[in-house]
Amino acid sequence: MNRIVRDIAIGVLVVAVLAAVPHLIPSKAFQDFVIRCSSMALFATSLNLLVGYTGLSSFGHGLFFGLGTYSFALLMQKTGISLPVAFIATLLITTVTAIAVGAICIRLRLIYFAFVTLAMQMLMHSVIISWVGLTGGDQGLQGGIPRRVVAGIDLGNQYNLYIFAAVVLVIGLLMMRHIVNTSFGTSLRMIRDNETRAAFLGIVVWRVKLTVFVLSAVFASVGGIVMSLFVSGAYPELINWPISGDAIFAIVMGGVGSFLGPTVGTMILLLLNDVVTRQTEYYGLALGIIILAFALGLRRGLLDFITERLGGRPAGGIS
Amino acid sequence: MNQDKTTRRAVLTGAAAVLATPHIAGAQAKAVRIGMQATFSGPLAQSGITHRNAIEMEVERINATGGMAGRPIEMVYRDSKSQPQEAARVARELINSDGCEMLFDAESSAGSFAVQEVVRDLGVLCIHSSSETSSLTADPKYRVATAFRSGRQGIHDAIVGGAYAAKVAEARKLTKWATCSPDYAYGRDTTAQYLEYLKHFKPDIEVISQAWPKLGQPDFTEVITKLIQAKPQAMYTALYGGDLTAFINQGNIYALFSAMQVFSVNLADYTALTAIKNLPPGIATGNRYVVTCPDTAANREWGEAYRKRYNEYPTNWSWESSTGMRFYEGAAKKAGSTDPKKLAEALRGLKIDCPFGVDGTVTMRAEDQTVVGYAIGWGTTLTKPPYVADVKPADWGTIFELETEWKKRNGFI
Amino acid sequence: MDLDALLDCVTSSSCLVTQTTSGLIVGMLLFMVAAGLTLIFGVLKIVNFAHGTFYMLGAYIAYSTFAFTGSYILGVLAGGLGMAIFGVIFERVLISRVYGANVLMQLLICYAVVLICDDLVKIIWGPDFYAMGMPPEFQVPPLFIAGGVVPPFYIMLIVVALVIGGGLGLSLGLTKIGKIIRAAAHNPNMVSALGINTTLLYSLVFAVGGMLAGLAGGLAAPVRSLTPGMGFSILIESFIVTVIGGMGSIGGALIAAVVLGLIRSFGTIGFPLFTEGLMYIAMIIILVTKPSGLFGKEIV
Repeated sequence: MNRIVRDIAIGVLVVAVLAAVPHLIPSKAFQDFVIRCSSMALFATSLNLLVGYTGLSSFGHGLFFGLGTYSFALLMQKTGISLPVAFIATLLITTVTAIAVGAICIRLRLIYFAFVTLAMQMLMHSVIISWVGLTGGDQGLQGGIPRRVVAGIDLGNQYNLYIFAAVVLVIGLLMMRHIVNTSFGTSLRMIRDNETRAAFLGIVVWRVKLTVFVLSAVFASVGGIVMSLFVSGAYPELINWPISGDAIFAIVMGGVGSFLGPTVGTMILLLLNDVVTRQTEYYGLALGIIILAFALGLRRGLLDFITERLGGRPAGGIS
Repeated sequence: MNQDKTTRRAVLTGAAAVLATPHIAGAQAKAVRIGMQATFSGPLAQSGITHRNAIEMEVERINATGGMAGRPIEMVYRDSKSQPQEAARVARELINSDGCEMLFDAESSAGSFAVQEVVRDLGVLCIHSSSETSSLTADPKYRVATAFRSGRQGIHDAIVGGAYAAKVAEARKLTKWATCSPDYAYGRDTTAQYLEYLKHFKPDIEVISQAWPKLGQPDFTEVITKLIQAKPQAMYTALYGGDLTAFINQGNIYALFSAMQVFSVNLADYTALTAIKNLPPGIATGNRYVVTCPDTAANREWGEAYRKRYNEYPTNWSWESSTGMRFYEGAAKKAGSTDPKKLAEALRGLKIDCPFGVDGTVTMRAEDQTVVGYAIGWGTTLTKPPYVADVKPADWGTIFELETEWKKRNGFI
Repeated sequence: MDLDALLDCVTSSSCLVTQTTSGLIVGMLLFMVAAGLTLIFGVLKIVNFAHGTFYMLGAYIAYSTFAFTGSYILGVLAGGLGMAIFGVIFERVLISRVYGANVLMQLLICYAVVLICDDLVKIIWGPDFYAMGMPPEFQVPPLFIAGGVVPPFYIMLIVVALVIGGGLGLSLGLTKIGKIIRAAAHNPNMVSALGINTTLLYSLVFAVGGMLAGLAGGLAAPVRSLTPGMGFSILIESFIVTVIGGMGSIGGALIAAVVLGLIRSFGTIGFPLFTEGLMYIAMIIILVTKPSGLFGKEIV
């Protein structure tokens, strides 16, 4: 209980500090950074529920991120429902989809699981590209998201969206933190460490796997909603393969064994992206070299590296 | 292409240096910063680079002749990596943290729509130079008061292409048609519109086969053999860039181009014309950019100046961006100011002298804030430079008439 | 759906011949890339996400060699040899450090190499797309076989790919080194305990995989467009082939690649839309019903 109170207190503090920052440093780029960070960190952390905590390496988690952007943007554009209702409806759509997709995918293990999730995502990507009438195909959902108002607050305003994104991020992280700290979280780690033993100990492996698959999909979808609000629309690139790659790189660079690893990794990746893009058009070259330095130098994520240096043992862990 | 590789590298490094260090602005007046985001990496890097090449030329010229209302222009370039979400972010960053006063968007269609939403949210002035998707400016749903377009438009190409093809079809009795276009919105829309206008001018044609290869598909063999099997008399293709080059090279070994009359809307661009080693003669092609369309001294001069400077011919993207910068220049002259609101006001209906205008001028049409009067024409390929012969410029009277009808039909006006 | 057209095609010899060769040519080049991918996975359990880059670099090296010497054969060989060397360096310097590490760490390293190579290609060759152009010896009109159109260049490609694929299969099956490689795929510790230098063996596997991709890139260079990032679409298709054929099975890769090529060539007539989606559906069905692929042995 103490831990929950402490986590919540930290969360409230983070939101308060973030809310104050724009009054001290009026940098809109910083606000954009936090909004994108919120979206990608939720997405990456949700993937780490699978990778770091359950040992399921998904290559297709972007399916749910993209599903979040498209469902939300479509609901806002094509129906008259309000933003909170669209938000909830998007999570419902994601849940149903994740149950169906998960039921198929979790039957497989290791690299086969990775490939089947990838195939699922690419299938969804093909559907979105082909279904031009609904999704706008490769051109994306055009025309922006209307009525971005929650309880009288207009999220079209950058500062409001910034606060909204920060709050969503903190709540999302707190919820996921809670999930991994419950007995359910323990089951996940047991499955990761030894699936057979977990089954012997009475854990219904498929049910736990499916549950965590759906939960992680829902949080990824929340990240997608934030992204959809940021770009005011939805684009096929947001459900294409590389978006899953981004989340994977964030968790590998930040640390799969630490709860905040994916968040740190997201911040590193976004910062790299923003700084390098400003300096050179050879972004790939620069980023590639930095990634190699990370992967071969640290051989683990940054946060895991620090934890180990400080003598601790990372909470999760693969490799 | 055949240029000397060392020179190419020198040009590239030079371009990189330009990107890394912003221009030293004139001391007397504060520079007008214009933010330009485009694709500088990946398979479409060539688009961003040749957009920027043209802009560099124009900026130098404009700054040498007094800048925008006395203020020199300083460009800030950013790579969006072909990702719409990155295009949106970069566009915001250019305005919010790099002190840019206006935008110059050189994204392809999806990216331009993402930027359009940023323009709507921030209320900033923007010229789109690359997107050819007609609805960006034609559909009032997407239109933004401060956004303009300086590039060509799909619907114009469809009308002109249809009219030209109908004439050829009439003369040579081509009634059985096939199409082969990339399987995504651009390919499907332009093909449908093209066929619509082809049938408008010549109702008795029949489409017997349609192939839809994927964008970036490495191998078109199965598509080519399918087309050959169908035995059409004529074929239309909206493939472009590397896909078109691959298609022609692969079609060549099946002797596709002697089996049917091919109409390729995107072939007459030097990027494709020079990359294809054995260009089949007699392919009908729309002009993307060639120095002979419009066949004027001003256009030739500009094309040669570009070639001298960058050691290759300009692309379609180059003229579109060059025109965009000329519009900013002209608007500043007319408004006597660099205030974005006044510039936007000045841009509406602005007519400027321009080497790419069919009559030496182009106009920013006030009603939908898009450029009209640029040279569009069709000709046939030659195996050697100048690569395209007998380019027939289109009649804008017909274009306007059919475009208005199209807009009415779609409920845009 | 246009089943009438499909029926017309399979009942006409000209269409049948043309579309079959067209499916074979797509399939055989794909096979050469996928064979290396599947070999590397089979022996080393490494999913080489940088394999498309091998293909791209092979094509560029062949392009430049051809431009310099005027010889297509030299170009193709240079592409293959260059990528064999590149494969060894890639394995020694990077991949060897992450054997046994999580697949995501391998993915990260491969992705970094893809990013670096795409940009290096842009720096060295420029951002334009290139086409090598048909070598003069193949600038001949197509042949007509049973009414079908078949270009001699493609006959050459199919034969070369078959010879290489067959050679690879035979040497894996018959030679000593081939047997060692297959043994290593089953039990690397045993092979190492027998005093066989596994380091050398692993480098060899990457050399062969790189060479195959490089050769494929070089062979395809006269008809395909060269552009930075061109390896990506090949990589995805190779993955589909590898998974369907069974990860680690070269014979499976051959059959899957040809089947995929034929689906493409006849699919474009019968159901031109959504062929890509069908590939993914096939991949999912195979994975779920028989994860080791049509011809693979269960590895896990």
